[in-house]
Amino acid sequence: VSLRDWFWRRRLEDDFDEEIRSHLHMASIDRMRDGQEPETARMSALKEFGNVTLTREAARATWGGGWREALASVARDVAYSMRLLTRAPGFSLTVVFVLAIGIAANTVVLLIAKGLFLRPLPAVAESASLSVVVSRSTAGKIGGLSYSDYRYVREHDGGFSGLAATSMQPYSLGIGTHAERVWGEAVSGNYFDVLGVRPSLGRPLLPSDEVAPGRHPVVVISDRLWKRAYGADPSVVGKKILLNANPMTVVGVAPLGFQGTIVSLVMDVFVPLMMQRDLDRSTRLYADGGARASAFLWGLGRPTSGTSLASVGAQTEMLGRQLAANEAIDDVSQRATVLPLWRSPFGAQTYMLPAVALLGAMGALLLLIVCANVANLVLVRGVSRRGEIAVRRALGASEFRILRLLFIENLALAVAGAIAGVTMAAIALPLFLSRSAPAAPMRVKLDLSADSQTVVFALVVAAFSAVLFGFLPARRLSRADLASTMKDELSPRGTGRGRMRAALVAGQVAISLMLLVGAALVMRSLDAARRADPGFDARNVGSMALDLQSSGYDEERGRIFYRRLLDVLREDAGVEAATLAAGLPMTLVDNASRAFAVERYEPRKDEDMRFLFNIVASDYFRTLRIGLIAGRDFEQRDDRSGMPVAIVNETMARRFWTTPASALGRRLKTAGGEWRTVVGVVRDIKYARVDEEPRPHVYLPFWQQYVSTMTIHVRARESEQKPLEHLRDRLQTLDANVPILDSRMLAEQTRAALSIFEMAARWLLIFGLVAAGLAALGLYGLVSYTVKQSTHEIGIRMALGARWSDVVGRFVGRGLRLGAIGAGIGVIASLAVTRAMAAVLYGVGPTDLPSFAGAALIVLSVALAASSVPAWFASRINPVTALRQR
Amino acid sequence: MEPNPRQTRLELLQGTLDMLILQTLQWGPQHGYAIGQTIRAQSSEALQVETGSLYPALHRLQKQGWIRSEWRTSDANQRAKFYRLTPAGKKQLLRERDRWSQLVAAIGAVLSPSPAKD
Repeated sequence: VSLRDWFWRRRLEDDFDEEIRSHLHMASIDRMRDGQEPETARMSALKEFGNVTLTREAARATWGGGWREALASVARDVAYSMRLLTRAPGFSLTVVFVLAIGIAANTVVLLIAKGLFLRPLPAVAESASLSVVVSRSTAGKIGGLSYSDYRYVREHDGGFSGLAATSMQPYSLGIGTHAERVWGEAVSGNYFDVLGVRPSLGRPLLPSDEVAPGRHPVVVISDRLWKRAYGADPSVVGKKILLNANPMTVVGVAPLGFQGTIVSLVMDVFVPLMMQRDLDRSTRLYADGGARASAFLWGLGRPTSGTSLASVGAQTEMLGRQLAANEAIDDVSQRATVLPLWRSPFGAQTYMLPAVALLGAMGALLLLIVCANVANLVLVRGVSRRGEIAVRRALGASEFRILRLLFIENLALAVAGAIAGVTMAAIALPLFLSRSAPAAPMRVKLDLSADSQTVVFALVVAAFSAVLFGFLPARRLSRADLASTMKDELSPRGTGRGRMRAALVAGQVAISLMLLVGAALVMRSLDAARRADPGFDARNVGSMALDLQSSGYDEERGRIFYRRLLDVLREDAGVEAATLAAGLPMTLVDNASRAFAVERYEPRKDEDMRFLFNIVASDYFRTLRIGLIAGRDFEQRDDRSGMPVAIVNETMARRFWTTPASALGRRLKTAGGEWRTVVGVVRDIKYARVDEEPRPHVYLPFWQQYVSTMTIHVRARESEQKPLEHLRDRLQTLDANVPILDSRMLAEQTRAALSIFEMAARWLLIFGLVAAGLAALGLYGLVSYTVKQSTHEIGIRMALGARWSDVVGRFVGRGLRLGAIGAGIGVIASLAVTRAMAAVLYGVGPTDLPSFAGAALIVLSVALAASSVPAWFASRINPVTALRQR
Repeated sequence: MEPNPRQTRLELLQGTLDMLILQTLQWGPQHGYAIGQTIRAQSSEALQVETGSLYPALHRLQKQGWIRSEWRTSDANQRAKFYRLTPAGKKQLLRERDRWSQLVAAIGAVLSPSPAKD
């Protein structure tokens, strides 16, 4: 017995003793008033009272045992419901399965949200509390910080307990005789310290690795790379590896699971940012034009405990204003600003947010259907239990006790559903992801493992649904009394209950229609996005990224190599056109952008003059079939000896020179570069994503702007079966040692840009179909129940000469009527909410007629099918047997 | 000599004591002793409430939430535990009275059957 229990009992006993004393006292006083002597009065009162001990015992028995007794009574209820549920395995399994579907759907959404927003960086403790410091132009465009900006913020900002800097970079890693593309981060010396990540081998990068440019040839590699490329050899620490042909000493191996700080993308090498200029020699264009212009970094830190993000942000923005005042920025006015990691534009988070939010809403709707479905099952089962409950009531069980018993039963079902649901989600999600992994240029990995939090979440969802589905039926049941139950058994059907069940079924139909509308809208968006003209023709175009630097080519030899390669390819019978480009289109992330100046154009004060650009060789537009609107393509003469030239896209031409034709001959330049004459205007294409707005874009000629890592683009003739292999063969006849970083068909690449639609569409379709299936199950259950209840009536009708088609018609009519009501409500509800989906729609409006019509058609067909089967059974009833029933 | 009161007193039927207590408390809060006295007086001494039943019954009713108790000083300046009817108790009283009259009617019908109708 616990101490508290003991004290509680002691108080009650003392209280009762005092009550007895007061009773005896009053009784004696009464007797004394009648004239008795005090002593006699006391004795007589005691005598009348009787056995004090027995009374005390009897009173004590009514007190009960406090929480201990209550717990034992709950335990009895639990044991009882378990017995009951195992005795009706069909019912129990159906409910658990249906619940598991709803819980699995919501668990999937949680796991995705967790991987992206709540626990975004694997192997980093409390990664959701990290914030990024970026620059925001007055036009609202988010960009990076230059190193000097970052240093200024780091040294003056008290809002962060530590502020690291990072940037995402592609590298070519020399392994043996070949090289491959790996992605990595160029980071500040305090990067690992700020993250709180300790290498499993060797040392992290340190502040001493951030002293002077080019002086720290060290690298930390990922556990994954260590195992894959170096066979998990511990002696790799201290060895030199080749990054972009620069020897770098491995000083440490990051812990298992750590994949950097770009959410969902796997980073394999971590390099001191002081080395970036050396490593990036091949693309020096990115780094020239003054320190502040090369804003390739962003800050990463944890706000000091106790400070709100808002106050940190205010402080940082103030620093940003000081900075802008100290050193007028040449290109665009921009401010340092703080964002929580989940809103950082560097990584998949912001890009996935609308889809995940949509999935969350759909998951909640699906759960509602599941609850309505289970409520129906519980209601039907309740009918057979009314006798039992009524007897309990008659024997004196209170309404509360019966509600509690029923709630415990529902909770037991819900917990089983939660366990089954989490298991289902944990099995389904990896299977699903492995099938839908986009052919992205970099490795994508989200930590989607379930943990104790997930299980808690599932249990909470389960308990919530148990209340939701169990309450109405239980309330109805707990009021059952013997007399009305007996009477009701005799009446053909309980009409009130029928109405509630019908309402639940109509609700399911309505919600499943909403889910199907959502799925249809996204599917049609996907379709529209697939059909959308990206402005170029990716079919039959093979791409292959090369790295000349790591096999020892300097610029002069590189130029010769690239020229010979193009010559060889263009002479090839299987090749229609061939060219070189620094960046690929439609990779989801923007290619490089730079600030440009336009001759005789005075930018407004806050105008954003930073534009995307690409470096391309001649024939680029012909190879990709991008239409030339005015002027000419790049030609052989556009080399170092020729006049500096550029080609712009239509949007750029119209913005600065009103018409494409008038753009010809005008001049523009990059900050610190030379004036370039516009010689051509080409059509816009989709540069990063299908759903992007038209943007200005500049093309610079490769021969005037040498880069060692170029991507060959080859348009193969239709007859060519294996363009990539052919390309590889031709390349190796020229130089077998040139590392190929990446090789894929362009169509495959552009498909990755649709992954947002694909992921959302696939999950929504699953949710929608499951919902329609559940609604069908509910409708089927309702109609077949009605048929069963009406067996007698059907018998009479048939005996009186009703045709089977009349019988079928009656029940199908009822099912269809419910389906139509549900569909009507669903259409109205969908019209009210689909506008919120705009962020994931492409090419279709939120009230797209085909989507609505298609969803309604599916729902009504399902309603027809679900009510036809039981109706058909009804028509097969033998009138004689039916009449004998009851 | 008076007849032995025990022989003329009636044994209370199971469950009726609760109803009587609730009925007694309908007129205002009372302590245990007074409840016993009131029942006895109003039944013209026919019903004698054993304290061994009265107090467990009071505690049971309190646990059900039909009555509440508090220590107070009585008119005679005596400290005593007073029981008071709750709204739920009032409803319970009505229910029990209903049930009681049905029971009385049913038993009455059995004991003095009216002539069969058919």
